Amino acid sequence: MIGTLSRRTPVIVQGATGRTGSVHVRRMKEFGTNIVAGVSARADVASVEGVPVFPDCRAAAAATGAQVSLLMVPPAGVLSAAQDAIGAGIKLIVTVAEGVPVHDAMRVGRLVRETGATWVGASTPGLAVPGEMKLGFLPNVSLKPGPFGMMSKSGTLSYEVGYRLATLGLGQSIWVGVGGDPVKGVRFPDLLDLFLDDPRTRGILLIGEVGGSEEEDFADAMRRAHAQGRALKPVYALVAGRGAKEGVAMGHAGALTFGNVGTFESKKQRLEAAGARVFATIDDLIDACRAEAGQR
Amino acid sequence: MLLIECDGKALLRAAGIATPESVVVDGAEASALPGAGPWIVKAQVPVGGRGKAGGVVRCDTEPEVRAAQQRLLGASIKGHRIQRCLVEAAVAGHDEYYLSLMLDPAQYGVRVMLLREGGVDVGQAGAAQTQSRLCPPDTEAMAAAVAELAAGEPPARRAALIVAGKKLARLFMDRELMLAEINPLFVGADGCIAGDAKIVIDLNAAERQPALTELIENAPAIYPDAIRKLRDGFDYVEVDPEGEIGLLTTGAGLSMMLIDEMTARGGKPLNFCDIRTGLLRGDPMRVIKVLGWIGERPNVKVLLVNIFAGITDLAEFANLLCIALERTPVLRVPVVARIVGNRFDEARAILNEKRPDIAVEEDLTAALNRVDAILRGASA
Repeated sequence: MIGTLSRRTPVIVQGATGRTGSVHVRRMKEFGTNIVAGVSARADVASVEGVPVFPDCRAAAAATGAQVSLLMVPPAGVLSAAQDAIGAGIKLIVTVAEGVPVHDAMRVGRLVRETGATWVGASTPGLAVPGEMKLGFLPNVSLKPGPFGMMSKSGTLSYEVGYRLATLGLGQSIWVGVGGDPVKGVRFPDLLDLFLDDPRTRGILLIGEVGGSEEEDFADAMRRAHAQGRALKPVYALVAGRGAKEGVAMGHAGALTFGNVGTFESKKQRLEAAGARVFATIDDLIDACRAEAGQR
Repeated sequence: MLLIECDGKALLRAAGIATPESVVVDGAEASALPGAGPWIVKAQVPVGGRGKAGGVVRCDTEPEVRAAQQRLLGASIKGHRIQRCLVEAAVAGHDEYYLSLMLDPAQYGVRVMLLREGGVDVGQAGAAQTQSRLCPPDTEAMAAAVAELAAGEPPARRAALIVAGKKLARLFMDRELMLAEINPLFVGADGCIAGDAKIVIDLNAAERQPALTELIENAPAIYPDAIRKLRDGFDYVEVDPEGEIGLLTTGAGLSMMLIDEMTARGGKPLNFCDIRTGLLRGDPMRVIKVLGWIGERPNVKVLLVNIFAGITDLAEFANLLCIALERTPVLRVPVVARIVGNRFDEARAILNEKRPDIAVEEDLTAALNRVDAILRGASA
């Protein structure tokens, strides 16, 4: 689903009339996103930024045929909004709320899996196909069409990397923020096929963090793809949180290490064994991207 | 977030799972010991591997207990200072098991694990695969999995394990836990006794879990980072109380990366900080709080501000920063402000006018070099 997104893809925004929602409806439209409907429980608002507002996702989807929905609702409202979306036949949901309770995220994950839909979240700044559209609030200064498929747990660290790329005239083919939550929708390994199949993507940037096993699982996915005889693309990785205290989450609940699981060393070792390059600094990562793009 | 053992055990007891007779000591006075000995003295820090790190001491006599307490209190394990010890009556004459319910994030389920013979080395995968079941997040399903995994045990043991499994499953669901591990779980004729408790809670659910917030609120010195998150709504974690570089930053991943890069350069960062500029909304209070916490620490030699403003108005932030610095007389160190993004030029003009002493940089590497130079100057 993510690979087919373009400026023509119709998009619903749930929570469109909220303070944050309405601002970002405007910003996304300016960027090129084809927002066709908003959803809000407020009966007194008929439209926002020229987009018609419906009482629930089912009505919005029925009226527009949209299969993509961005959920700009508070964390405690994510589960019910996701149920509304999935019930309406939405195939891709993106949730941007920060601090979704983990047990709620598990329920969303099960529901999405049962229906074969795709979920980006729980807490993500969104995703973008620069030059086409964006869902969420990835900053425009960091977005530029280019050869790198980007995926990141951290919003800000990916903004920084994206910004450096953009100012160097490089950019992104597809950018997916997977979020820093322990329980989430799309994980790094789920995105390998997307980037390998996407003709715009020449290199893959993995921006990870300590905690969990996504980086390790991505390394395993690389090895499987290689064993199947698929042509891999260069993978460049940053893993933040080397200095994190064991047992203490650094902002992201997912960035929590116990014993040997989810540590920087474990991730670096597995990624490098699978053929990825892991960098110690943002500068080193950017240098490698420049080399890949023929700038050096 | 991992709870210290005595708090985890309080949750277990509330769920009807017995724990050994015990007393919590913080060094202030010699409390009466539970039972006639022997005892186990355990450092209460929120990390695994305490036993291997010397944080669990078996004692046969009262003087040994006092000596162990004295040795442990104030020492550190994996960067966590030991503020409390749990002194427990040693449990004898029981079989030991390992029982855990662990969130499986990729499967959207809960992995139920039951192994005979507990002990510190359990948990290293391998054998675990064959003796675990993946369940949906549902009390009955998890309880049934424990019963199934206990199928080969002697009848009395099995019955006790099933009872404990059900209680632990209910606790896991009711308190929205991410991990509930008992290792060892003592099983005897009188039922189960939890020898340890490793409970990981979800701070995102704290608002609807008053029992958990109460535990945290009652131990502010043990959970300072969680307290800050609950009270102030953003993240600030002290990484090294002796640190020299204070951080006023936004974004979890970028702040972590900055700490890593500064450490690799030989710097000593004090703290992690994700202030969430999007939620400041014109109020300097958050910034003042962070600067105050940084200012309390004795070795801070420089403040690094790093704000990537995708949407945030940097000009507004620049004003807030000036106000906050003004109102934090305790922090008088050089400031490097790396700001980039929305309304950078206006922000730089504001800082140049109001605080010409602040080094403003748009490039992150240049800002880190500035910090290095200040530290070198300070130590020279």
